[in-house]
Amino acid sequence: MKIGRRAGPLAAAPAMLLLATGFLVPVLIVFAFSLLPPRTFGWTGELTLSNYSTAFTDGYWRNLAWSCMLAALTTVLCLLLAWPAAKALHRLAGHRATAVTLAIALPIFISESVRLFGMALFLMPGGGILAGTLDAVFGISVGTILNTRIAALLGLVYIHFPFVLFPTLLGFSLLPNDQVEAARDLGASGWQVFREIELPLAAPGALTGALFCFVLSLGAYAEMSILGGQAVTVITRAIEQRFNYAQDWPLGAGLTMLVIALTAIVVFPFLRRVDIDRLIHR
Amino acid sequence: MIEAPRQSAWRRLQDAWLGTVLVLLYLPIVSVLLASLSNTRYMQFPHRVWTTSAYSDALADYTTAGLHLTSFKIALVVTLASVVIATAGALAFARYEWRGRRWYQRLLLLPIFFPQPVLGLALLLALNAAGLTPDWRTSAFTHLVWITPIVTLVISIRLYGYDVQQEEAAYDLGASRMQVFREITLPVLAPGIVSGAMFAFLLSWSNLPLSIYTTGADTTLPEWLFSRTATNYSPLVPAVAVIATALSALAVLLVWLAWSGLRRLLR
Repeated sequence: MKIGRRAGPLAAAPAMLLLATGFLVPVLIVFAFSLLPPRTFGWTGELTLSNYSTAFTDGYWRNLAWSCMLAALTTVLCLLLAWPAAKALHRLAGHRATAVTLAIALPIFISESVRLFGMALFLMPGGGILAGTLDAVFGISVGTILNTRIAALLGLVYIHFPFVLFPTLLGFSLLPNDQVEAARDLGASGWQVFREIELPLAAPGALTGALFCFVLSLGAYAEMSILGGQAVTVITRAIEQRFNYAQDWPLGAGLTMLVIALTAIVVFPFLRRVDIDRLIHR
Repeated sequence: MIEAPRQSAWRRLQDAWLGTVLVLLYLPIVSVLLASLSNTRYMQFPHRVWTTSAYSDALADYTTAGLHLTSFKIALVVTLASVVIATAGALAFARYEWRGRRWYQRLLLLPIFFPQPVLGLALLLALNAAGLTPDWRTSAFTHLVWITPIVTLVISIRLYGYDVQQEEAAYDLGASRMQVFREITLPVLAPGIVSGAMFAFLLSWSNLPLSIYTTGADTTLPEWLFSRTATNYSPLVPAVAVIATALSALAVLLVWLAWSGLRRLLR
């Protein structure tokens, strides 16, 4: 029996209405704004593509490239960190596994600004937690990586690591432990187990996590300003400057549309292929 | 069997890796805690004097009380509204079979796979176009757009393991639609709704990128922390960070205790 042919749309209506007014309409408004002449605030003016051509001729592609590169690096680093961690977590069982999983999940609920601030305090030169301790205990004085691109990258990895770990773990949970044991007994090498068993089974989860990580890093903002200082101007920062200091909303909207388009290019193929029922159902 | 020692060494390496990851995850949080225990204007670790004076300053400060109140108002509205919308939304997501369900599932995932600062900015432009002045209420709406899909997923997970036949049996015995929902569907959903509510509260309470663009003249805790880390640092800042985090943990603990007490009472 199929239930909810009529109840379905009714139950979905409030959420759909929320997303229509709070997501689809705003994106359309950004698009409309991006077609207005530079530096206009109202809704009058000839429609133009000049903001998009400015975005490419004025060197904003450099900011966009930095964003993409940092996001890609973050994704790769998070995957490298998460894969062995997921493997170790998958092998733990019972209460210990629950405790460790909870311990990894908890920081997600502590504000980004608190965690990044903590990282800045740790890395601070002179009287920072790391430099101060090294100086007091070992008499070693060290420099700092704060306000560099490396620090920004570390911040990105730190914030987005759980978003890669948990989907990867979900992938590993599809993996029967005895299959790995059996392969081992039959003389498979570690590399063979990885390629023939782990990779094909856990890859969809890891891929979902990677996608998540890439998209979120692409829009990252706080990591850059708290840890990166002035070292790198990513696209979200460039957009913010257009809106606040330059008071050029249409150009800001045009740059925002570029980020949205980039996100869509990455996300839509994934959403088209993924079967949500199967992914959650397990 | 010859493989065994090498394998166990390999496993120990993996466990060590997991331990390292855990330590690294908590290092910044511990750093905030350590920094708050000082009374000097500049960070000079290890502190010459260890003191909790920053905490008494924070508790006496009127501004920080206002920040907590703003964040709390937003988180409360977001929690209540998102749980109602998401409970209905989860039934449509995972329980009902209807045309357009697959489209609805995908639409619901879009805001999650979307850069948050961009979403905040888009809503700021939309508010401007609608002639609305941003304040804590518009910020709550923005949080809702991002948090409702997440809560819907959390509640949906309960429905995937759900035996449909209970409902059908109840219908066969002459129960009304409302009775079935109250007596059968809701009890199954309840744990999902409680964890969904916790997710909603915590995610709203700690959100920075959406609030930055949509609170207007009002300021939330994460926003204040963000601006004070860049300029005007004092031990007050880490102290407020610790207090805010502890309060959210306390709120969740209370909800959890109330929930498990209620469950024991009903059993």
